[in-house]
Amino acid sequence: MSAVPAAGLRRRRDRVAVALRVWSIAVYVFLFLPILVIVVYSFNQGRVLLAWNGFGLEGYRTGIADNVIVDAIKTSIAVAAGTAVIATILGSFAGIALARRKGRWTPIFLLLVFIILVTPEIVDAIALLIWYVRIGGPFGPDVTIPAVSYGILRLWVGHSLFATAVVTLIVRARLEGLEESLEEAAADLYAPPGRRFRQITLPLMLPAVLAGALLSFSFSLDDTIISSFVSAAGASPWPVVVFSSLRSVLRPEIASVSTLLLLLTLFAIACVALVLRRGGQSGEEVAKTMTVGG
Amino acid sequence: MADRQDERFINILASQATAQRMTRRAFMTGSVVAAFSGGFLLAACGSDDGGGTTPSSSGSTGGAASPELEGSLNFYHWAEYDDPKLFKQFTDEFGPSTKIDVYASNEEAIAKLTTAAGSSGYDIVVPTGVFIPLMVENDLLEELDLSKIPNFSNIEPVYTDQPWDPENAHSVCKDWGSTGWILDKKQISTPIATWQDFIDVAMNEASGNVSVLDAPNELAGLYFWANGIDWTTEETADLDAYEAFVVGELAPHIKAFDSYPGVALTQGNYALSQVWNGDARQGLNAVDNPDDYEWGLGAPETELWMDNWCIVKGATHPEAAYAWINFILDPENSLKDLEFHGYNTGIAGVKEAAEEAGLPFLDMVFFSDEQVATFRAGEVNSALDRQVEIYNKAKAAAGG
Amino acid sequence: MAQRVAESERGSRRIRAPRFVMALPAWIWFAFFFTIPVLWIAYYSFGYKPNIFSTIATDKLTFDRYSEALSPEFLHVFKQTLQISLLGTLLTLLIGFPFAYWLATRVAERWRGVLLGLVIVPFFVNFLVRTVGWLILLSPGGPLSTLLLRWGIRDQPIHLLQTRGAVQLGVVYNYLALMIFPLFVALDRLDPALREASKDLGASRWRTFRQVTLPLAAPGIVAGLLLVFIPLTGDYITAAVLGGAKGNMAGALVASQFTTAQNWALGAAQAVILIIMILGTVALFALLGLAIRTTARRTRRITLPAPIERAT
Repeated sequence: MSAVPAAGLRRRRDRVAVALRVWSIAVYVFLFLPILVIVVYSFNQGRVLLAWNGFGLEGYRTGIADNVIVDAIKTSIAVAAGTAVIATILGSFAGIALARRKGRWTPIFLLLVFIILVTPEIVDAIALLIWYVRIGGPFGPDVTIPAVSYGILRLWVGHSLFATAVVTLIVRARLEGLEESLEEAAADLYAPPGRRFRQITLPLMLPAVLAGALLSFSFSLDDTIISSFVSAAGASPWPVVVFSSLRSVLRPEIASVSTLLLLLTLFAIACVALVLRRGGQSGEEVAKTMTVGG
Repeated sequence: MADRQDERFINILASQATAQRMTRRAFMTGSVVAAFSGGFLLAACGSDDGGGTTPSSSGSTGGAASPELEGSLNFYHWAEYDDPKLFKQFTDEFGPSTKIDVYASNEEAIAKLTTAAGSSGYDIVVPTGVFIPLMVENDLLEELDLSKIPNFSNIEPVYTDQPWDPENAHSVCKDWGSTGWILDKKQISTPIATWQDFIDVAMNEASGNVSVLDAPNELAGLYFWANGIDWTTEETADLDAYEAFVVGELAPHIKAFDSYPGVALTQGNYALSQVWNGDARQGLNAVDNPDDYEWGLGAPETELWMDNWCIVKGATHPEAAYAWINFILDPENSLKDLEFHGYNTGIAGVKEAAEEAGLPFLDMVFFSDEQVATFRAGEVNSALDRQVEIYNKAKAAAGG
Repeated sequence: MAQRVAESERGSRRIRAPRFVMALPAWIWFAFFFTIPVLWIAYYSFGYKPNIFSTIATDKLTFDRYSEALSPEFLHVFKQTLQISLLGTLLTLLIGFPFAYWLATRVAERWRGVLLGLVIVPFFVNFLVRTVGWLILLSPGGPLSTLLLRWGIRDQPIHLLQTRGAVQLGVVYNYLALMIFPLFVALDRLDPALREASKDLGASRWRTFRQVTLPLAAPGIVAGLLLVFIPLTGDYITAAVLGGAKGNMAGALVASQFTTAQNWALGAAQAVILIIMILGTVALFALLGLAIRTTARRTRRITLPAPIERAT
């Protein structure tokens, strides 16, 4: 190494390292502070969330018994699952095409994807609202599809736009990062296209697909603006219920149910992480593919 | 002289036909009679109640056997406006499960229903009375078959047959209330007796700590009531003056546009708020020290609003809707609801029942005749568009 | 060679489908549910509101809605939105960068995944509920205020809600993770050997950071800036919850035209202006970045001196 006085270097490095660590701890505190507050206030016995009135489980009891809230959560999960499926399928294929089948169409399609990502949600929301009413059909109460209410259909479509765009870019980034050599080698070994896809391409892009599915799911769960504009009678997702509570009076049930949802989500994530670990992915790699080619 | 003045003002609550006969004494006598009959009715109900877990029962006051009820009922409703326990009780007694979607203003509700053009999927909507003619004209409401609502007779006659819905063709009274202010005595020492006082304090002592209702017409009302102008005015000059005032002078002092400031104020968020009486009452109910706060009814004039149960045109669960309306007009259920939201439900005898039950702050729920005489129902007219425009500009100006 | 052989073999075996065929489903989906509806909105922006009962009429096309939308009051809201979002984006960068740097360079490899995962956990709680958490915290009757009063630090409850500051805090909080992720990925890809080499060559820590770390992390920074700025500018919910009247963002204007005001033409015009504002700002900064890069490249050109005669 360089012939610098070791002690002096160590002292300087330590100060910066300490400062960085302190900063990072502060960031963690910052990130978790409101979550902690919500969890604590989920035990608020008062009638109003903002007014603390002692510890108790009343919020939990009321929240679980409230059928509006339970319906909303069921709706949210159904919508999020559907969105993830649609976005993953459409986006993965588009991503593959962008990475492996480039052509003159690529810049146009990329521009479309970019515009979708740049458009504020409120614009999407009002555009879809008008559009759904205009085309009616399965998006209105006149035509019924078995097992799927038109409200849920509206939300699937509405949420899937942004989600598909994101998945497209993630899959594209992942595939572009990997050379085609593996697939070509398989072709040289006379593997038919279908088998090539199944055994080479698909496993290679699986982390990206999974990351995309996860992102789509969580985006859909969180989406407030599009949901509040296009949701139909009886199919209000969870954020819409919280939003309407916000416009009047917040009750402790909201915090209680949110805490329960958080625990459930953590449990689900833990399961997924376990599966991924078994498959040989480190948590860091999943996280990496989740960012758009950054 | 005084009586004739009362006649003119009490017109608001009664149709033209009954106005001539309505003097203050008549009103009082009528209420007493209604109270007695309400009391008898309650006693009669009490013995009938206790049954009705079968889906086709039509409620405690009996009546014609109702048809099969649908499995669910969709409400398009204000937030926190009915006791959730009542919804549960309805489902237990009658069967249909209830789903509620929320709106924050009449304009929003009308917007969604108009856009949906009969396909919204909602069964019941709860508009404020003065918007009903607009909704009827846009074909948004079903005509009511009052024979399916036997409990309709429980409503005090003075709250039926309103000028904006003659003969209750489309609506049934849910509750009615008024607008005033609530203030934090620890922060405001100036006494507030009128809307002009409210404005003065808002621009001085409470500047930056005052909230106004998040509604275009009530914001306009604030200015017009304070300046002795009829708040249904369509005169351009009046609206220009209103715009100049609220956008230019008042807006920078406003902390928030909040339609439910009652609880927020007692939590310390505001020092002074324009508020509905029931919401102010909820605020006082939520704290241990209600004497630190003061409620004031708007003066010299203020609003009279009445919210109503209506059935949406194209409703897919009409029988359940009728069953609900009948259910909520039952005096016992009505009292429970009143306890929750704090507004006068207009059911005969509910005031006495509330007093008997010892509910707090009843002076904020039931008003004297003198007070009622100062209430003005609004009107939806050509000024609405301009009012909404000014309201949006005021919001933009307040954000600065 | 082998590559060309493989391709021609593949080509001879089946009919070539058009290259974009796999992207076709997504394309149709986008076209039908995004492009056409949004174009319809743009079309509506040239309409007008005929009377109090209807929302839009397009028999007479006019630019009037645009002049309405650009009136001083509304323009002020657009300006304020831009201020909040630019400052918010900058703050997320300033807060997130040291954190990402620490995670990528000072933390052992095996812990990075877990610690990164820990950053996401708060974001599993619903967006609105997280914001409500701040609502409670900043409330005059909330825990922070109560503590400050009890410890005698303040003699009055805090009045942080319904202020611009609260909105700024809220948006920074809600979008911080979106900045941290791409930053981390970019910094993590950085070969530590490069930094060591720079130090070996005698560069100070600061110089290493400025001339090695920062430029290599630039794509990550750009990604983070875009990921934060764009949704932040369109978001009006955080502002509505924490900001009261002071929290009027441009998105709320559009929303209110489609709910309370029922003036679709004006709402559409405001929506179009919002999109233009976002795209315009991004384009402006892209140009700025390009300019900076070109000048930096030119000034940093290294001219190697003549080799020094060394004594062996």
